[in-house]
Amino acid sequence: MSELETFIVMSVAGTAYALRSHQVQHMEMVEHVTQVPNAAPFVDGVVFSRGQVVPAINLRARFGFERAPYDVRTRLIVVSSSGRSVGLIADDGREFLRLPDAAITPPQDSLAGLSSRYVEGIASVNGRLILVLNLANLLEFSEPLVAV
Amino acid sequence: MAGNDAFFDGFLDDYYAESEEHLTAAADTLLRLDKLIGQPAAERAAVDDLFRYFHTLKAISAMVELKPAEVLAHHLEHYLRAIRDGENALTAGGTDLLIEGTRRLEQIISAHRTQTALPAINDVVAGVASLIRVAARPAADSPERSSEDRRWICTFVPTKELLASGFGVDAIRKRLAEIGTIVDATPRVGPNATISFEFTLLVPYSVDVVQQLIDVPVTVQAETTVNAAVEGTALPIGSDASAPAASGTGTSLSHVVRVDLSRLDHLMQSVGDMVISRARLSDSLTRIERHVPAVEWRAVQENAVAIDRQLRMLRESIMRVRLVPVGEIFRRMPFVVRDLARENGKKVQLELRGQTTEIDKYLIERLMDPVLHLVRNAVSHGIEAPDVRLAEGKKPEGTITLTAAAVGDVVTLEVADDGRGVDVAAVVEKAREAGLTIPAGALDVSDILNILCAPGFSTKRETDRESGRGVGMAVVKETIEQLSGTVTLDTEPGQGTRYILQLPVTLAIADALIGRVGVESFAIPQGSVREVIDVPEADIRQLEQNEIAPYRDGALPIIRLARIFGIPDSPAGHVHVFVTGTGSNAVGIAVDRIVGQREIVVRTIADPLVRVDGVSGATDLGDGRVVLILDPAVLGRLARQRTPRAIGDAAAWGRLRAFK
Repeated sequence: MSELETFIVMSVAGTAYALRSHQVQHMEMVEHVTQVPNAAPFVDGVVFSRGQVVPAINLRARFGFERAPYDVRTRLIVVSSSGRSVGLIADDGREFLRLPDAAITPPQDSLAGLSSRYVEGIASVNGRLILVLNLANLLEFSEPLVAV
Repeated sequence: MAGNDAFFDGFLDDYYAESEEHLTAAADTLLRLDKLIGQPAAERAAVDDLFRYFHTLKAISAMVELKPAEVLAHHLEHYLRAIRDGENALTAGGTDLLIEGTRRLEQIISAHRTQTALPAINDVVAGVASLIRVAARPAADSPERSSEDRRWICTFVPTKELLASGFGVDAIRKRLAEIGTIVDATPRVGPNATISFEFTLLVPYSVDVVQQLIDVPVTVQAETTVNAAVEGTALPIGSDASAPAASGTGTSLSHVVRVDLSRLDHLMQSVGDMVISRARLSDSLTRIERHVPAVEWRAVQENAVAIDRQLRMLRESIMRVRLVPVGEIFRRMPFVVRDLARENGKKVQLELRGQTTEIDKYLIERLMDPVLHLVRNAVSHGIEAPDVRLAEGKKPEGTITLTAAAVGDVVTLEVADDGRGVDVAAVVEKAREAGLTIPAGALDVSDILNILCAPGFSTKRETDRESGRGVGMAVVKETIEQLSGTVTLDTEPGQGTRYILQLPVTLAIADALIGRVGVESFAIPQGSVREVIDVPEADIRQLEQNEIAPYRDGALPIIRLARIFGIPDSPAGHVHVFVTGTGSNAVGIAVDRIVGQREIVVRTIADPLVRVDGVSGATDLGDGRVVLILDPAVLGRLARQRTPRAIGDAAAWGRLRAFK
């Protein structure tokens, strides 16, 4: 028997990524992001989240894709990891998913070199591949990550 | 009965706060003591005070089971008693030991707080013991000799039986209070969780008389014999214990409430949220104004103004609660000066002014190290040796003056000495040796300060112990700038040196000027803006990669926010410029439009991804957008460093000067 866990699924440049829901504080439409000069290159700027100033990481830029203009589907997902609150900007984020632990397998070796740093597992749901993000690594490494 | 961990932690906080009070009071008294030798009455009063402080420190340290502090305080108390009772005279060596003991106690308690290794106390204990003339001690077995008040320890061990017959701790305390004066009451927990109460009683009788008078089951001992073997663990056991301690010492109830700083922060945050809501409200009101009949509007407007005023008052009240006298920083300085002066063979008098000036508790904690560093610098580099001073026609004793003053929302701290002044030639030479570039031509004080504050600069060849300690002028400047403050230098050869630190009294809410570039707004702390000017584009000249504008009878480097932030310019024929900084640190920050002055709530930017130089925080003007708060001092520095000239490419500065 394995436990069911809730995930929030978002997409970035056509790929589906999942975040464990307990890591997500809230999700909202992207309004104004205030640009911060000399911030990390994949950071769009800062936003307020519950009175706190949090950075907004553009996941497209983080994963090495071209930035896309925000639209009505763009979401800001505020996550918390080891005391930090950080906003992630994804192309969309509308889906909740409950998965058993067993459905998530570690990334295969062929993937390891490229993305094992921030992908902690892969789930196959109805023939669709979903990459489960390792949030700590995603927030920790400051060098650009390579796209899958 | 011993209480749970949370209770004990809370109790420890009380202990730290209380011991700090007594240590501070003891330190003050000790410093006075130096001047009182030869004035018997005043000296006696001071010794009495000291005795009381150490006695209390001993008792409260015992309660938290901080053995080394208890033992040390006990020995200091013991020595003071010997002086008080006329068995010992107070000597200079004794004062030094008491000062060292106080410092050691402070270290022990602070080490306990940070859970680091406790310093040793053997040397101080041994020193104190050697000062006390053993033979002169009155033995506890000659009580009949005593015609004046003596101290007795009455120990009461409560049992069920005693309680049943009406002998509770309160009954005992009451009875003892009829016989003499209870000067202390300490609950103790023995090894088998047995509880006893120790009352220290001041009674003008011998032990027999006391025994006869006390028709209650307590054991009575002369205090000295008990103190000789301080042992057993003591724990707080609730109000029973603390009540007699407070009332017994006869101190009048103080109207002071100790509040955890985080609770005040919470309050401050709530007020901050209200300030933001108010800003939103006035925005909404402005939008509906034209839809509302004038009469109705006036009523709304009056109420809005009243809320503004009340909110401001509320904010000020809370800010006042957070304020503590700057004397907390000054207090430690006499020790530092005394020690350093002695080590360096100098004579230094320290004058403290404006100690009652109040600043935010947050600032107090962060200002301690910078001020300490400036004071150390003044003693080791500023003040000359006595013979040198005499040769210069000065008093052999140098003076260091610490001044605090608050004007409006700005607090000024000055560290001034009447020493040799900054030796500009030596500074320049050292800077060259350290590989720093020096501006050509005559250096003004802000140039000199920039050099002194450059990382890696030190005027002494070897890092000397007292001014070293890892806190250079670079760190002083950085710390002050982090607090949105400024450092300025004023020095005159042979006359002295003065460092002036200017800071906002409090940080959480500030008045700011709002500027706008394209769609982005920026806030600049009002305190750092000297002037707002309009500059026609035609007047701005290009100087290599910098732009400068004529300003008064000189030139002002201009920083265009649009350029720094990569926002497209919207040429309008002229720019609005916030003039900040002074001397060669003056810089103009150019924006498209000046929105006005606002009261802003300062939010910190904590995440490393977005913590950047030149931005000191963020705020919200009511529309939910983040508005960055700029740090003009750092922006100015960045602008100067953006080109390879750092603190001064000779050629560029020469040209700039020629431009003036």
